[in-house]
Amino acid sequence: MSKPKILIVDDDPDLRRALRLRLRANNYETVHAQDGYTAVAVARKEQPDLIVLDLGLPAGDGFVVLERLQNIDTMAGVPVVVLTARDPQNNEERALKSGAAAFFQKPVDNAELLDVIRASLTNSRTPGTHPS
Amino acid sequence: MSDQATRVLLIEDNPGDADLVRLRLVEGKSLVEVTCVDRLADGIASLDLHPPSVVLLDLNLPDSHGAETFRAVMAQAPGVPVVILSGQDDEALALKAVHQGVQDYLIKGDITSKQLERAMRYAVERQALLRSLEITRKQQLEFKNQFLSHVSHELRTPLTCIHQYVTILLDGLAGPMAPEQSDHLKTVLKSVNQLHAMIRDLLEATRAESGKIRVEPRCISIGELVQQAVTMMRPIAGERQVGLEIGLDNRIPLVHADPDRILEVLINLTDNAIKFTSTEGSVMVKACMVEADEDAVYVSVTDTGRGISPEAKALIFERLYQDPELIDNNRTGLGLGLFICRELVKLHGGKIWVASEPGQGSTFTFTLPVYSLAKLLSPVIVHEQQLREHIVLVKVELTPLSKSPRGNWREVWQQSLDTLRRCVYPDKDLVLPPVGGSAAAQTFFVVASTDLQRCGVMMARIRGQLERNEELLAGATLLISAVPVEFASPPAGTSLDKQVQTVSSRITEMIMSSMAAEPANAGNGRAASNFRKIQSNH
Repeated sequence: MSKPKILIVDDDPDLRRALRLRLRANNYETVHAQDGYTAVAVARKEQPDLIVLDLGLPAGDGFVVLERLQNIDTMAGVPVVVLTARDPQNNEERALKSGAAAFFQKPVDNAELLDVIRASLTNSRTPGTHPS
Repeated sequence: MSDQATRVLLIEDNPGDADLVRLRLVEGKSLVEVTCVDRLADGIASLDLHPPSVVLLDLNLPDSHGAETFRAVMAQAPGVPVVILSGQDDEALALKAVHQGVQDYLIKGDITSKQLERAMRYAVERQALLRSLEITRKQQLEFKNQFLSHVSHELRTPLTCIHQYVTILLDGLAGPMAPEQSDHLKTVLKSVNQLHAMIRDLLEATRAESGKIRVEPRCISIGELVQQAVTMMRPIAGERQVGLEIGLDNRIPLVHADPDRILEVLINLTDNAIKFTSTEGSVMVKACMVEADEDAVYVSVTDTGRGISPEAKALIFERLYQDPELIDNNRTGLGLGLFICRELVKLHGGKIWVASEPGQGSTFTFTLPVYSLAKLLSPVIVHEQQLREHIVLVKVELTPLSKSPRGNWREVWQQSLDTLRRCVYPDKDLVLPPVGGSAAAQTFFVVASTDLQRCGVMMARIRGQLERNEELLAGATLLISAVPVEFASPPAGTSLDKQVQTVSSRITEMIMSSMAAEPANAGNGRAASNFRKIQSNH
């Protein structure tokens, strides 16, 4: 049984490393991207099971990434959890509308984030598409 | 501006007076283009279709009288200057009109064309000045908000990093920790959480100040909210070994309040109470009715803590206030929590206060309005101490096309509600508050009074505005229907209150049966059962 693969997209290297540590400790495999452009490329190549996405990113912000992902057939149904320092009042609805599965403002409660990741992965798995 | 015609909308029912004003306008030197209508409803329709530069308004029209006339016009077109042309030299009314934003009050008989022209020109200029002042004020507020939002964003990023690495160490993800090291890190984490709360409060207080906090009152159970808040606060109380109890009166009616916002107030007050109570003390969250006041539910948080001095009591709800005795040994935040609570309670039409004796603990109490359909309806269906003759219930149904609407459904719902509110006349129609704590309800009800014809215009506007917003309707179908509210004329001597009660019960019944007609819809089912609750409280 392979570990679910999570793509971490954040421009802050320290935060990427922290999230990697946290997610790996919880039995997930991780891949990473530091900007919007790379995020889409890595998503295409690595086919992650879930994406943790920052909104404020160089080379295409989180909304651009959400839009691009929608146009990739193989990424349809892969849940995106937005994790951003931005204000939910102006961004939450927009992110959910753009296809995000959940929205968290930084700093996030780790237990809550892990719960949502677990739930999103369970929901997104339809038999046949994600053998695990 | 000067080489363009001034578009004048003249609302005047007396043909003689209308001709006279028209003549005066034509005599004047400047170019004018006059549209003349003889009813308020037509005037309102015209305001919507061809916004004029200025409105000349007679107050006594076939379908509206006195102050109600200018209020309706100004509500419809807040940016357009209004000059009243009245037959009555009523100084009190004139003053009232000017206070409420009317630009001038002239007496029909005594004006020359020159005076009229000048009055109109100055009215337009003054209104433009007001508008630019308002724009500047908004820009400055916006700037301040953006600045704070930017600062909070920039602060959050490093804070997140600290939070992540501290929790990584605490959770042993980087190797085992000695108990003492772990203790020190917990202190760091506590401070990080405080800093986080401060950033949040700072933004919230700024929003409160600039009127950006949105409160969306619904018909809700305060008991459920109290329970929710207490459940959330229990771990913190446990940690500090402070008892936390609930006292709920078993006959509390439903209240008219925004559940998210009131939960915020309850959590804030309870958190404070726990913070200022020493070990073995206790905190009690209560909701009850008070005999002298039937219109409000009283919610209170009582602690057995150190109490508040009389000087502090006077200032405790002010922004940035902190009790000087507490600052040194108990870092608690920016002093914005109670300010935010007060603003939120005020937005609900309630009051908040504190009773306390030093050393004897404190009780913070706030009030919330009891949900009463009759009370909400009264200003709309009563006119000059009489029930209006025609009352119509308009039903607006938005049904999402997909079975499982995503997160954006809440937005559709909110926007539809805003649109409905824009389409109704404040003193003649009422968009009924949604029922229950869920945003999923997709049927809105509007109670409209006066003639069916006007109601038809309103429905057409609602349809037009909703349909124009393609994005809004992309995921939903729209149905609008209207039914007149039939009620037998009451026996002579029935009090007005009683009559209003009868009409509200009738409307409640109509809503219930209309909801019950669609048993397939779970959201509606819930709404219907809540309506039943409202009725049993009458």
